[in-house]
Amino acid sequence: MHIPDGFLNITTVATTYVVSAGGVGNAVRVANRKLSEKQVPLMGVLAAFIFAAQMLNFPIAGGTSGHVIGAALAAILLGPWAAVLVMSCVLIAQSLIFQDGGLLALGANIFNMGIIASFAGYYGYRLVNSLLGSSRRGKLVGSAFGAWSSVLLASIACAIELALSGASPIGVVLPAMAGVHALIGIGEGLITAAVLSLVMATRADLMQLQRI
Amino acid sequence: MKHGFLDQYSDRDSFIHRLDPRTKFIISFLFILVVVLTPPDSWLVYMLYAALMAGLLLVGKLPAGYVLKRSLIIMPFVLLIALFIPFFKEGEVAGSYNMWLWQVTVTYSGLQVLVNIVIKSWLSILSLIWLTSTTKLPHLLRGLEKVRLPRVMVMILSFMYRYLFIVVDEAMRMKQARDSRNFGGGRRWQVTTIGNMIGTLFIRSYERGERVYVAMAARGFDGHIRTLNHLSFRVADAYFGIGGILVLTLISLFTFLF
Repeated sequence: MHIPDGFLNITTVATTYVVSAGGVGNAVRVANRKLSEKQVPLMGVLAAFIFAAQMLNFPIAGGTSGHVIGAALAAILLGPWAAVLVMSCVLIAQSLIFQDGGLLALGANIFNMGIIASFAGYYGYRLVNSLLGSSRRGKLVGSAFGAWSSVLLASIACAIELALSGASPIGVVLPAMAGVHALIGIGEGLITAAVLSLVMATRADLMQLQRI
Repeated sequence: MKHGFLDQYSDRDSFIHRLDPRTKFIISFLFILVVVLTPPDSWLVYMLYAALMAGLLLVGKLPAGYVLKRSLIIMPFVLLIALFIPFFKEGEVAGSYNMWLWQVTVTYSGLQVLVNIVIKSWLSILSLIWLTSTTKLPHLLRGLEKVRLPRVMVMILSFMYRYLFIVVDEAMRMKQARDSRNFGGGRRWQVTTIGNMIGTLFIRSYERGERVYVAMAARGFDGHIRTLNHLSFRVADAYFGIGGILVLTLISLFTFLF
């Protein structure tokens, strides 16, 4: 879902840059106000963790493989604003070091996989929690639903940006992207739930981290 | 395990390597900007940009084979997104195929847009390879801090860079262990395995982050990072920066002439 340079037109590039700068700027403000200096090394290591977790591929179908985005996982564990910060750093590093996602498209990529995915993941999780109660089952179902909706909504945002840039008509790119990612999202959801199930079994205290 | 993938060749010495990271970042950004803004049919302009980039890579003493290999690794992902394009543009029909339920039509204008986007992406990727292969990442991060990337993000990025190798190593060791135990079985089993791996990786990373902070606090960390290397613009930066902007402007003006 990392958009390379060349796909987005300049209006979309400028708009997504402004929106993402606002979102990340607010995440920085919230972090500066609420987090102590202790959290900074921790978030750095966790950014490295998200990066490494994305390298663990799992087979999907027909010889292809996929990996998790991790935004929902980060948002559920650390809170949505912290997840925006961590994901933005991961995306900046991926763009600069691996050329995975363009530099001009960075605004769009941070918007999709950083901001949209984190908030969709967090509020999807909270929604199910409030419906099912925050029992173990509620948390697992909530995290799976949150992760699934984070992937789906991020792909829809990505499709809209591509369509607005004139790369492909909306009637084609939106159902294609959303359809494919509704399936990929199931993988993300199941794996996120499995991760939380392990964390709850071994270090349940990490489920009660300070969230921002 | 061995990681040859991060800022390789950034410790070489060349005119480009000695430039201030900010200068290189700005030129690289402007290069991508003018490339993306170029209209689809200006083939000559694309060739000029490619020649300029080849020159920059040459002065930076980067091996052509390495650059080519690096740039091609990412191209499959670019093509994956780009593949939608040629089928859905209106225009003169190049070919029509029956695929299962769909009648698929490839048009010439669609193909042109596809080729155009792939060229733009490739040139942009080369520009980023040029930037990160001639600049050490800690220097680049200091440069980014100077161009107003928030400090907390610069710090997160530097910690990330420092621990990336260790955490990736840990992930790769788990992956090796998993694969050598015949990873397979049903879908449910696979999901549980990956979930346990990522969960374990999370707990280990979290504990490492705590240890790192405790060690830093013991050495007097107060939330500020002080370094000895200070960035400074030199005369070479002025020449390179102004020269670069002039050349990029000239090439982009060609768009209107042809």
